[in-house]
Formats: sequence, C-alpha cells, structure tokens
Amino acid sequence: METENTIKILLVDDEVKFLKAISERLSIKGFDVTTATNGDDAIDAANKGGFDVAVVDLQMPGTDGAQVLKILKKNHQFIEIIMLTGHATVDSAVECTKLGAFKYLEKPYDFDKLVESLKEAYQARLQKKFESNLKRMEAIQKMSLHQSPLGLLREMAKLDDKRK
Amino acid sequence: MDNAKELFGYDSLAFFGKVSASISHELKNVMAIISETAGLLGDLSDMAATGKPIAPDMLRNCTDSIVEEIQRGFSTIRQMNRFAHSVDTPVVSVNLMETLDLTINLSEYLSTSGKTDLSPCEGFTPIALTCPFLLQAIFYETLVYTFKHTGPGTEISISIQPTDGSAWRITFSGFNFSEFHVFPDVITKALAASIGVIIYADSTADQLGMDVPITIESLMVHPVSPDIPNMGNASSTRA
Repeated sequence: METENTIKILLVDDEVKFLKAISERLSIKGFDVTTATNGDDAIDAANKGGFDVAVVDLQMPGTDGAQVLKILKKNHQFIEIIMLTGHATVDSAVECTKLGAFKYLEKPYDFDKLVESLKEAYQARLQKKFESNLKRMEAIQKMSLHQSPLGLLREMAKLDDKRK
Repeated sequence: MDNAKELFGYDSLAFFGKVSASISHELKNVMAIISETAGLLGDLSDMAATGKPIAPDMLRNCTDSIVEEIQRGFSTIRQMNRFAHSVDTPVVSVNLMETLDLTINLSEYLSTSGKTDLSPCEGFTPIALTCPFLLQAIFYETLVYTFKHTGPGTEISISIQPTDGSAWRITFSGFNFSEFHVFPDVITKALAASIGVIIYADSTADQLGMDVPITIESLMVHPVSPDIPNMGNASSTRA
C-alpha cells in the first residue's frame, strides 16, 4: 500500500457503484476520501470539509457538475477541482476551464492518470496557499510600520476575511 | 409507402444523434464502473500478496458489481439495437406500448430524467400503422421536455386509450403543466404533424395528450402542416 500525505478528496458522482469502487481504490492509495452522490450534498460537504481537491462528475441530476464547480471555486479559495465526464465535448471542456477546473478527464480514464492529476492538483493548491500567505506576510509587514498593535490586529482580520 | 422516407429530415437526424450520444454516455459509465472495480480487485490482490488479510465479502461485492454492470451494458446495447432498427422500415404496424417502453428506457439515460409509470392496456392492443422512428422522437421530446421543466423528482404517468376508432389517445400526467405551457416546441410540432399526431395541451388538468392515428396511409398522399389545437376543440381540428 502506498501512502500519500493524506490529501483530502471530495468525490462527487451520481453513479454509486463507480463512487464506491474509486473511493476504495483511492483510500488504498492513502488518500482521505469523502463521497457525495449529488451536487447539493457535495456543496454541503465542502462547506463542512476543508478538502484539498474535489473530483466532480459533470452530468448529474439536479445541481450539475458545472454548477458545483462554480460554487466550490467561489466559496473555497484554494480548492482544486478535477472534472470527470462520460460525454466530453470541446464546449464543456472550455466551459469547465473558464470556471476554474484544474483538469478535465473523460471516463473511462486511466486510474494512474487520475492519481497523478490529484497529486498535481494538490501541489497547485499548496502553491496557491503559499503565494497567498506570502502576500499576507508582506501586507502585514507594510502595515506594521504605520499601525498600533490593535490597529494591526484589525487590519489582519480584514485581510483574513478577504482570503476566505 | 416510399414517400414515407421523405419524413426523415434534419430534425430526426438530430434526434438520432441525441439518443446515440446518451447511449454512449451510459455505456461509458458502465465501462468506468467495470474498469474501476476490476482495478480495485487488482489492488486487493496486491495487498493479499503482501500478506494483508482481505475480507471475502469485499471480493464478492466486486465480482457482483462487475456482473451487474455487464448486464446493464447488455441491456443498454439491446435498447440501442431496438432503436437503431426503428428506421429499417419507414412506416410499419407498431405496438404503441412497445414504442413507449423503448422511448422511456432511452430517456432514462439522461441525467435529467425522472420516473415514468406506463399503465398496462387492458382488453386491447394499441397497434398503429405509423412511422415508429418519428413517433419515438415525439415521445422522447415530450418526456425530456417534461423532466427538464419539472425536475428529476417527477413521476410521469402514461396511459393509452382508444378514442373514436381512428386514433389512440396517449396521456402524460403527474406534473404541473402550467410551469411549461409552451410545449410542444416548433420542432416537435412539425414532427407530430408529419405523421398526423395531434398534441393536446390541457393546462387545467395538468396533462399532455397525443392522438396517434391508427393509420397514416392517407397522410402519405396528402401531407399536413403543423397546428396545435387545445384539448377543448380537439374534435374539430386536426394537426
């Protein structure tokens, strides 16, 4: 059994058997996997979660994958999202990319490629967080020259609100 | 009946494409499940090789899942085959129950699809001489349009009744029709008119109705233009 650095994954697909098989496989590979069978449950789970990467099926009844992608990217600054589809088209690939998808994979896909994409997405997330933290540090340093300790705390709180 | 071939235009080709795409999507899902489950069996074998105990139930669940998905794949291919052969003969005697059954199965491959309840015909067999392919297109568009506007939680009830001896009346109910009173759209209207199907929109009873002529032989000689009457004046107007 391989072990990853406990990457937290949210898997979203309305095909329950697919979800079960893939979550078992990713768990064996050492990923921390949570599943959701529809868009609304995925959004709820993400709000509770703290996921690094989400893997979302594009075509689902009710709130579809594109809507889930849009909402997750809006509400969770650093989450990376890999879209899965059984019906790939250029239009849907372009749309997902515009909405901020990290990758777009067509079913059935190579499992090793998915694992590789998850690791890449995780690295991208870390990089984004690092850059964001760096900017925050720089901003705090600048503020510290002109603010009282209390004023500095207030400004830091404002910065954190923006980062959510 | 050679004139019947002229019934197939771009819209029917587009319908064929739409259904084919939904079938391929379904088959891809089946393949994805088989692929992942087989992969999981491989992973479990690797674990067993290292001496890690594997629960027999887990192996049984995997093999059961693969068998079930193969059956699902076969069933999808059977529907695909029935659908593909529906263009073999442009006009033929069809059992409307069978046509509806196939269309319901095809519409279920769409993610927007809900449940359908097709009532059995008691005491009669609804046979019509018509174009099965275009009739499927009309039924399919009706189901797709209804589910699209009512959501996948809807259960549509479908029943067939004889009318005055010249047509079969098919009724779609179980949803709030006022939410999408613009049905049928121009394309469905044209498809319906081409084989003499009259579509009724009864918003007061929340029903969509269709009168399918028992034979379209006369239409092959005198084609008609699309016109959608209300349920109230149905007897005096024919599409």
